[in-house]
Amino acid sequence: MTIYFDHAATSWPKPPGVRAALDRYFEEAGGNPGRSGHRMSIAAAQAVEDTRDLLAELLATPDPSRIAFTKNATEALNIAIYGSLRPGDHAVTTGIEHNSVMRPLRHLESLGLELTVVPTAPDGTLEAARIAAPIRPETRLVATVHGSNVMGSLLPIDEIARICRDRGVPYLVDASQTAGAVPIDVEALGVDLLAFTGHKALLGMTGTGGLYVRPGLAIEPLLRGGTGSRSDQETQPDFMPDAHESGTLNVAGIVGLGAGVRHLLATGVYEIEVHERQLTARFVDGAGGIPGVTVYAPADAKQRCGVVSFNVDMLSPSEVGTILDRDFGIMSRVGLHCSPGAHRTIGTFPTGTVRFGFGLSNTLAEVDTALDAIAEIAAWSAAPHA
Amino acid sequence: MLDGLLTFFASHHAIRAEKTLRETGFDAKLIAGPKELSPNCGTAVRFEYDRRDEAMPLLAARHVEVEAVHRYAPRTDAWRASR
Repeated sequence: MTIYFDHAATSWPKPPGVRAALDRYFEEAGGNPGRSGHRMSIAAAQAVEDTRDLLAELLATPDPSRIAFTKNATEALNIAIYGSLRPGDHAVTTGIEHNSVMRPLRHLESLGLELTVVPTAPDGTLEAARIAAPIRPETRLVATVHGSNVMGSLLPIDEIARICRDRGVPYLVDASQTAGAVPIDVEALGVDLLAFTGHKALLGMTGTGGLYVRPGLAIEPLLRGGTGSRSDQETQPDFMPDAHESGTLNVAGIVGLGAGVRHLLATGVYEIEVHERQLTARFVDGAGGIPGVTVYAPADAKQRCGVVSFNVDMLSPSEVGTILDRDFGIMSRVGLHCSPGAHRTIGTFPTGTVRFGFGLSNTLAEVDTALDAIAEIAAWSAAPHA
Repeated sequence: MLDGLLTFFASHHAIRAEKTLRETGFDAKLIAGPKELSPNCGTAVRFEYDRRDEAMPLLAARHVEVEAVHRYAPRTDAWRASR
């Protein structure tokens, strides 16, 4: 028996439609999109644009061209950060960011960027007003995670977006853990840039992701090259999405992503959010009552996504993860989750935590099985022989 | 007996180390890297500690970069024995 609680790393299983769509693509399309003009090239381009349309529906943006495909959320975040900031500028971020945000920002800091890192509360929640305080005339970007990949805290991106809009500062949201798991309406929120990955809650394949860029906002490309458009010119197109889509796209991956998004739109993102919130609540309430277990999650269930961390007294995260996998068939992710700041925030640096990331395929019965396993492990750990 | 542990800066090297050791007649097993020994990489390789002097040149010859060699007997083995 396998209980897959690692959806925060990548979702599993993918909907059956993903494999079927790939089969169709390899049989029928197979050309290079936007390059050659023959029927197979056109079919591939249509497949790419179908996925873009589905993503636009998901993010509630009326103009699909504002979404550029990338190879993952990290690439999208790098485009947004390096495309927005120069040495001498000022940027604001939080203390719980993933390294896909922090490493580009720290690199730019080494080149002369001024960076303000706003700490969150110890449970990873944040009052939006704390983002407003450090904003100054040189501030060119505010970048925050939407849902923490360590303790699952949701940041108030609607309020932060309002603050940024009022101050005229572009706002970048890292939606790696939330796109597809929490309803996101980019227009209503008023976010300027939003990075997402294709292989987590969007149920697509690894090697896919994307960046939403608000209409009217232009950022410098990270890569320049062939786009299949304006080929008479040796300068990069300045229009979306071509500005940020140089080189042949991962068409097979994008086709699979389209099938994943189609599945979740049919299921309903709100329904998925409710489902994951139930699973998380069951886990947080259950694990919180087990002696010797520490749970890291916001106390307020409305400020949680489907990610939660915990530790067992006297056992390292990797010991717990090994036992869960080997003896109970439960998949988790242990360690620092590429987010050292988040672990400093909750006091688990440098050993980290055991993380569960719940997803569409999980059930309350699976959570109960995991709670029984953790209770057994914690009791063994507390016994004198351990 | 798997009483040794190799840690790595990148999982790429861990995967190749395990493959190399197995191909050259060692007992080796990939595990989740114990963070108390190395924060660097999610994957480590358990192997036979007594054969470390034999193993290291083989890994170097295959361009496998090892962070450190540890003597390591995980308590998770004790958990298994207790059940």
